[in-house]
Amino acid sequence: MIRIPGLKKQPSKNMARRRVEPNVVNEGQSSLPDREHPRLPGGFNLPPFGVHQVLAVVIVCIALWAVGVIWLGMQAASQWVGSWQQDIHIHVYLDADKGKADNGKGANKLQQRLENIPQIASVRRIPAAEAATWMQSWLHDAALNEQDLVNRLPLTFELSLTDEQSQFLFDDIRDAASRFGGRVNEDEVNLARAHYWLSQASWLAGFASIVLALAMALIISNTLRMTLLARADEIHLMRLLGAKEWFVRMPFILEGMVLGAAAGVAAWLLLWPIIWGSSAWLLTMQVDLNLWILLPALLLGGGLVGTLGAVIATARVVSAETGV
Amino acid sequence: MLKPCLCVASMVTRGGVMATVWAMSDEKPLIHMQQLMLRYPTGKTALSGITLEIPQGQFVYMIGESGAGKSSLLRMFYGGVRPSSGSLVVQGLDMRQANDAKIREIRQRTGIIFQDHRLLFSRTVFENVALPLRVQGWQTERLIPRVRKVLAYVGLADRLWSYPEALSGGEQQRVAIARAMTANPPLILADEPTGNLDVDTARRVLDYLMDLNRNGATVIMATHDLHLLESHPGRVVQLHGGTLAGDSW
Ligand SMILES: Nc1ncnc2c1ncn2[C@@H]1O[C@H](COP(=O)(O)OP(=O)(O)O)[C@@H](O)[C@H]1O
Ligand SMILES: [Mg+2]
Repeated sequence: MIRIPGLKKQPSKNMARRRVEPNVVNEGQSSLPDREHPRLPGGFNLPPFGVHQVLAVVIVCIALWAVGVIWLGMQAASQWVGSWQQDIHIHVYLDADKGKADNGKGANKLQQRLENIPQIASVRRIPAAEAATWMQSWLHDAALNEQDLVNRLPLTFELSLTDEQSQFLFDDIRDAASRFGGRVNEDEVNLARAHYWLSQASWLAGFASIVLALAMALIISNTLRMTLLARADEIHLMRLLGAKEWFVRMPFILEGMVLGAAAGVAAWLLLWPIIWGSSAWLLTMQVDLNLWILLPALLLGGGLVGTLGAVIATARVVSAETGV
Repeated sequence: MLKPCLCVASMVTRGGVMATVWAMSDEKPLIHMQQLMLRYPTGKTALSGITLEIPQGQFVYMIGESGAGKSSLLRMFYGGVRPSSGSLVVQGLDMRQANDAKIREIRQRTGIIFQDHRLLFSRTVFENVALPLRVQGWQTERLIPRVRKVLAYVGLADRLWSYPEALSGGEQQRVAIARAMTANPPLILADEPTGNLDVDTARRVLDYLMDLNRNGATVIMATHDLHLLESHPGRVVQLHGGTLAGDSW
């Protein structure tokens, strides 16, 4: 029979509290000063940053910068096309003398011809007087003889298009116009084309942004995966100590968010040189880019992408021997 | 008035209900095993037919050859592995039915000392010892004096900001003890805590464990070092090939 010292005492709850008291040194005499701030793992404490994290920020920053450039380009292009986004008109001109020939029969035929093109919704003949008034106001009421103007102005047809993307539409219009000696406003044709390409490009830009976002999420996820592996023993230990899962994972989620947001801000800062470098050119295009609205977009986007990466990385962190 | 009544109840119902009854009575066993069996997913049966009771406040040595199942049994006490059959009730909790949240509670009320001590070498002694409190949501200001106290108790008050690397094997094991006791757990599990230590250092480690036990904690310690039994007597549970081979008080 072996003596059992432990059984002699009746255990009680506050016994444990008393336990260490006798051997404890006086706290006031404690020789070591408190350290700045102990960095304890888990919860809302960020894990330490290392070279992997810096690399991830750089790579994600480059990707976000590319997205920012694409968005800036879209902004510039849509400003350039301007009000054309909404309704697209093409003007066809017929010289005044040609229009009046044959008692205006040629003009009527041209109008008919244009109306027969299926992608044209309507054709409006702008009276010379209206055109003259408009021109007067446009030229700030320069003292022009209105009647003179009316006589000299070409006959104008305003075409409303239903579908500016149709392949041969502009060729058809040109065809019809040239047959009766008229001319098409080619600047407007170019803008209509640009509008078409712009709408295609915005799809592409959106698609590219999503692809880049996924790639960035994967990069961040891989980086966090490395830190997770490097600190597998710590995670394992915290679980053995009864830590809740959110407590174990939160630092990594936070780190992902911070990495993404930092990369977003860095990418935004790197967009400024582009603006400065192209300011003269943009001025001639009458484009005024607003970079500030991209800041919240890149910040939030980066943070979101980083969080997504972190969630992917921490989705399956198993520790042996802990049941999780 | 109430107590005798509860004791009768515990006599009658030998099963899961008992745990709750014991939780209220004074003579509750902290751990109760009945025909406990553990089979690993590999098919290896590590333990079988273990029927054992460990009352609160005992100091228990668990001895047996390597592979006898000591670690496996300790692992079951904190929910590291679940029993395959039989019943196991630890601190009032049926470990076969318990959900993850309950297991976490049990772990917060259990101090574990590993043979390879499992200190975090990238963190200071302070941070290692503070970890259990941190996990339990203690604020830093409240936790610092507690950690200082515990480290002073194991005689490492001056190594607060050292890294475990810079400590000797015995000191490292004392840090592990400090970590296991810092949250004041009623149960301390030690898996060969003296495995790599010389006799004197091992005795010193055991002094601490005995002292913790004297102050109320139940200590279960797996060990090879039978010579420790002479200087530090306790209940000896012997395992052999996964079965109970002896139990001397
Ligand atoms: N995770 C595991 N998976 C499968 N078998 C295991 C595992 N851990 C231990 N075992 C087996 O269970 C038996 C008991 O092991 P263990 O509890 O570690 O013994 P002890 O600690 O007494 O040396 C051994 O035969 C061992 O091979
Ligand atoms: Mg073992």
